[in-house]
Amino acid sequence: MNIHTYEKIWLAVAMVLIVGFIATVTYGAVGPGIAMIDDDGGTIDPDTINDDERFSDPGVTHVGGNEYEATVVAQAWSYTPSEITVPANSTVTFYVTSRDVTHSFTVAGTNVNTMVVPGQVSQMTVEFDEPGEYGILCNEYCGAYHHTMEGELNVVPQDEFDLTELSTDAPSEAQLGNQTTINTTVSNDMNYDLETTATLEIGDQPLDQDVTVPAHGSETVEFAVDTTDLGTGDHDWTVTVDGHEESDTLTVTNATEGGDGDA
Amino acid sequence: MAMRNAYIDQFPKEARVIRAILWSSFLALTIGGTLGLIQGLHRTNILRFIPSQDYYTVLTAHGVLLVITFTIFFLVGIFTWAVTTSLDRGVEDIRFTWGWYIMMVIGTILVGVSILGGVVEQIPMNADVLFTFYSPLQAHPAFYIGLVLFVVGSWLAGVDWFRMWWAWKKENPDERIPLPTFMALTTMLFWYLSSLGVAISILAFLLPWSLGIIDSVNPLLTRTLFWFFGHPVVYFWLMPAYMLWYTMLPKISGGKLFSDPLARVVFVLFLILSTPVGIHHQYLDPGIAEGFKFIAMTNTMFLLLPSLLTAFTVVASMEHGARQRGGDGYLSWLKALPWRDPVFTGMALAGLMFAAGGFSGMINAGLNINYLVHNSWWVVGHFHLTVGTAVALTFMAASYWFMPQLTGKELWNRSVALVQVVLWFIGMTFMSNAMHRAGLFGMPRRTAEPQYQGFNFEPAVGTVGEINAQVALGAVLLTISVYLFIVNMVLTTVGGSSSDAIPDNTYAGTLSGPEDSPVILDNLKLWTSIAVVLVIIAYSLPLASIIDAGGLFGPGIDAWKPSVVADPTLVLESIRGVMF
Repeated sequence: MNIHTYEKIWLAVAMVLIVGFIATVTYGAVGPGIAMIDDDGGTIDPDTINDDERFSDPGVTHVGGNEYEATVVAQAWSYTPSEITVPANSTVTFYVTSRDVTHSFTVAGTNVNTMVVPGQVSQMTVEFDEPGEYGILCNEYCGAYHHTMEGELNVVPQDEFDLTELSTDAPSEAQLGNQTTINTTVSNDMNYDLETTATLEIGDQPLDQDVTVPAHGSETVEFAVDTTDLGTGDHDWTVTVDGHEESDTLTVTNATEGGDGDA
Repeated sequence: MAMRNAYIDQFPKEARVIRAILWSSFLALTIGGTLGLIQGLHRTNILRFIPSQDYYTVLTAHGVLLVITFTIFFLVGIFTWAVTTSLDRGVEDIRFTWGWYIMMVIGTILVGVSILGGVVEQIPMNADVLFTFYSPLQAHPAFYIGLVLFVVGSWLAGVDWFRMWWAWKKENPDERIPLPTFMALTTMLFWYLSSLGVAISILAFLLPWSLGIIDSVNPLLTRTLFWFFGHPVVYFWLMPAYMLWYTMLPKISGGKLFSDPLARVVFVLFLILSTPVGIHHQYLDPGIAEGFKFIAMTNTMFLLLPSLLTAFTVVASMEHGARQRGGDGYLSWLKALPWRDPVFTGMALAGLMFAAGGFSGMINAGLNINYLVHNSWWVVGHFHLTVGTAVALTFMAASYWFMPQLTGKELWNRSVALVQVVLWFIGMTFMSNAMHRAGLFGMPRRTAEPQYQGFNFEPAVGTVGEINAQVALGAVLLTISVYLFIVNMVLTTVGGSSSDAIPDNTYAGTLSGPEDSPVILDNLKLWTSIAVVLVIIAYSLPLASIIDAGGLFGPGIDAWKPSVVADPTLVLESIRGVMF
């Protein structure tokens, strides 16, 4: 076959270019270890998501050291959870699946980007070095309000990060002279026990109670409140654990006043 | 008076059907282009006169009309010209030719009406599923049936060309296949191979599912079958443009094709490599092992080779033409090219933009860097350079030569035609550079309102407002360009009278002819077999593992019909009800 010399040179240069491209991608995969989305996440029946061990309570959990897991459920047109907070200097493995149609889980302006196909679990490990705030968006058309599907990803400094949550159960009214209790359940999703102090502020005296919450568990703290000390009227209270707060108001009524009768 | 020898004089019956085919193509271009303007103004929030949920109906129509209807109608017309002209014989049976054309028209009408149902209440259909129709988004059965009719019609067009070639071969047993016919046949072979994927996806899964015969599909499987067809289809659009660059552009430049053998090599490479690359659209898909993605990446990179060879041959042919016209020097020969000819200038500018599109395509093909740009506006910028310019502008420029050939009438206005192709180039420069840049900071494609509540995009250079302004300006210029094109075509066809000044129907000669290449290049059976083997290697394991993991019909996937959703707050309420 008759090929012009210039064309032979061009052909050689083109081959070098092509082999060079393949080499850089190969280097990226085996050198810095840029991992791709693959079939590691496995499959899932979308109807069983609510009962699934991993996806029934989506969110961030601590695996150990600086490693975390974040599970996310995508559905038209939102993510659960819609706001994700992780610490800086951490390695986070995301598990994302869809309840209905194909979505994406995309951290805008970064290479954290995966398709979310119903029936499949997308698994992706990301290293977060610096604190920052990012938007999460869906970049695959998923129906009429596709453009409203978004979330937030906050990478916070390590010393501002924990996985502690409060849930307080308290009466809104009590009768003067009775004892009542304010119960705060402290949950801890870190992979180690949390030793801390829960503080209730009501009236003049703050009440402190030490508590140890097991790893990936919860513990309920019971604060006994004596209404006699408080006197009648509205009393604002606040429960604080490691900077997390919950507050409401307790109304102490005089038994003879009767109030609206449902105390 | 010299005898005129235009296409309409040689093949009057064929000219009539090709005219009908091109008009179908131009109608799709006009509607699809207009819808593009609505999108460009809506997304950028410069002018919004439709509700955002209807944006997706408009987007579906824009995609389907331009990348399916406009391109494929045009190419079946132009390949019919190429085969009849280069074999110097008419079709075997003109009724068969009209038959496949009408089948494609019926398919288009079914698809068009079902999409229109998304905005017209009186039509009880909906197909707001975009060009990719990913399940479990479900369209009306008419949408799938229409697509099948259209694709089968294109298969029969191929049968038409193969019948001509077989008949010709009997009479010319020792001849090499003429280059334009060779190009049409090799293109058609990979089209048969690759469109099998979408045919299986629709006929085995999506159509029976939309009719209620099966109640679940495997979304990853139908998606993979779509991309089995979805990447080769871009070469189906591109190959006729390449054929025009190889067989028309050298002649219009004033010279000959540099190398017939390398043109054949290029088309053989596309036949072999077009299909086993589709998984490169699924780099971000779960459920497909990294190794399979790596194979697709490698094949994709090698597919750069025929395009790089084309760049060389086309530029060398243009240089040869320029030197025949008295051009000289290292680069000053460029001045000797016929820049006042809209056919030449349109094709040359299309080729130039294709080089830019090729570079962004190399980025897309990079398995790792793709994570940054996947499904971003970058990708839209990329394919508006490739299919939106390399293909579309070449087709429009070529029409300025073809319409006179098909009607026997002179082009209505060459100056308007020249302005039109330059306007397209300018409009696309504004639009595509801005889209590429927006993709780099993560602005997504396929969205009505890329304005979010919780965060703002942060461009490294420029502002979001400036990018939007460029896109809107580009969209306006491109739409004006489409209208100038259509006006020229209409007035060429309906106005004027038959002219004797129409040039002869010929294509470019070659500096190095087929006799310089081994006969094996014309062995279509051999190359098709190799293509089939490569497809089996690239696809059998991924498909087997997708079916093995998710089942042939998926793990209980419910259909999602875009139309049933009325109020987003109600839907969100119901989701919260399920969740908590």
